[in-house]
Amino acid sequence: MKFLVTPVSEDFLKAFCFFFPTLFVNIAECSQPLEIRSEDFLNRSSFPVTMQNQNDIVKDEAEVAASIAANKFEEWGNCSMKDAMEEPSFQEEDAAKVPYVGDKEPLSSLSAEYQAGSPILLEKIKILESQYTAIRRTRGDGNCFFRSFMFSYLEHVLESQDRAEVDRIKVNVEKCRKTLQNLGYTDFTFEDFFALFLEQLDDILQGTEESISYEELVNRSRDQSVSDYIVMFFRFVTAGEIRTRAEFFEPFITGLSNTTVDKFCKSSVEPMGEESDHIHITALSDALGVAIRVVYLDRSSCDNGGVTVNHHDFVPVGTNEKEEASAPFITLLYRPGHYDILYPKSSCKVTDNVEK
Amino acid sequence: MQASRARLFKEYKEVQREKVADPDIQLVCDDTNIFKWTALIKGPSETPYEGGVFQLAFAVPEPYPLQPPQVRFLTKIFHPNVHFKTGEICLDILKNAWSPAWTLQSVCRAIIALMAHPEPDSPLNCDSGNLLRSGDVRGFNSMARMYTRLAAMPKKG
Repeated sequence: MKFLVTPVSEDFLKAFCFFFPTLFVNIAECSQPLEIRSEDFLNRSSFPVTMQNQNDIVKDEAEVAASIAANKFEEWGNCSMKDAMEEPSFQEEDAAKVPYVGDKEPLSSLSAEYQAGSPILLEKIKILESQYTAIRRTRGDGNCFFRSFMFSYLEHVLESQDRAEVDRIKVNVEKCRKTLQNLGYTDFTFEDFFALFLEQLDDILQGTEESISYEELVNRSRDQSVSDYIVMFFRFVTAGEIRTRAEFFEPFITGLSNTTVDKFCKSSVEPMGEESDHIHITALSDALGVAIRVVYLDRSSCDNGGVTVNHHDFVPVGTNEKEEASAPFITLLYRPGHYDILYPKSSCKVTDNVEK
Repeated sequence: MQASRARLFKEYKEVQREKVADPDIQLVCDDTNIFKWTALIKGPSETPYEGGVFQLAFAVPEPYPLQPPQVRFLTKIFHPNVHFKTGEICLDILKNAWSPAWTLQSVCRAIIALMAHPEPDSPLNCDSGNLLRSGDVRGFNSMARMYTRLAAMPKKG
């Protein structure tokens, strides 16, 4: 079911490698080191899309990336894509201006970003506007996937007060702890991160002295000593899952970065600030048993000229059919190199509209 | 501050327990400051550093373990990835590849591994790197050996 399992042909990879350098130059010029990953292309290959010529794809990615970058700087607010691309390269301090987790913004703030953008993107945003009410941006510091997941998950539990879900995930967290121990990780290297996540779970359930409000959850998500620790907790969980199921993940890791599972975890999962891929998302979703919907905003379009917004559901292994039928409660917006949080109007409507 | 202190205290206890297990590393915490550590590591065998004892200084930053410790050689060493004057070490896990899964003890092990397997293509000590890159292993070994004798071996008499 997962598109992870889609076999990637050698030709496809060759093609990817062929224009990757060009992409890299374009992206590097216009923004922070946003990475274009094979994921985008995997995604593209698994949906009916018109063949664009290489230049188009390059432009596409650069444009989306530039737009994300432009949004990072308030002073860039109204400049066109071209201006954004000619702007000197991204400085790390600029990322620090954006909070780890932003405020909930109406979806119209997204279209404002793309005023001078491609018609396809604008059309897609229109579709998004019909399905989603709001967006919450996260800082583009390489931890955006984990940070988005963290806030989205905790916010869901805080709002639903779903004690059964908390009990369920705690069982999975304990499994992850065992996994890391079995892999030979020293307890004290990860236990503080586990403890802090479990503490948040207890605190967001109401009815105890420690119970916290929605505002406090937002504050904690912006407080480095909490936020980064939880991101790190997810990184440990993800690395543990990938290592224990090394056989399953190995082909994807080799295809993506031509390295070993061990090296991949050491260099691309465990260190803070390393960006996430479909590998990370699959592993985290499986380890914690939480489904994640990722909505893709790029310039791909359909053969018949119609524009649809692609999404992919990461459904944890072992999910039964009934559970699979309901839409995941975590929805993230993916633009090449960055994840933000999306808020659906109502979960069933979204499923109807998108699954075409 | 609290988190890093608690973590370092755990590492301190672990070091006491591991002392026998890893005779090549002697990791000591400053008496008055848990953020300052020194280590004595033995030069790995079958390298020009064999027989030498090298001192490392650790300065642990407040956001530890989210950020790596700063480590440098206090003992002079001729190695492509160690700055000859400052003792600064070029090692990925001390920079962008750091993760809290590492400990001060495992950093010492990584540095010993680096001593045994230099990376001449990313040199901090160009003279040393150039010897290896030009294939002059004998020249490199004799220089490294000389500095090990001069700086890392207890003086006789």
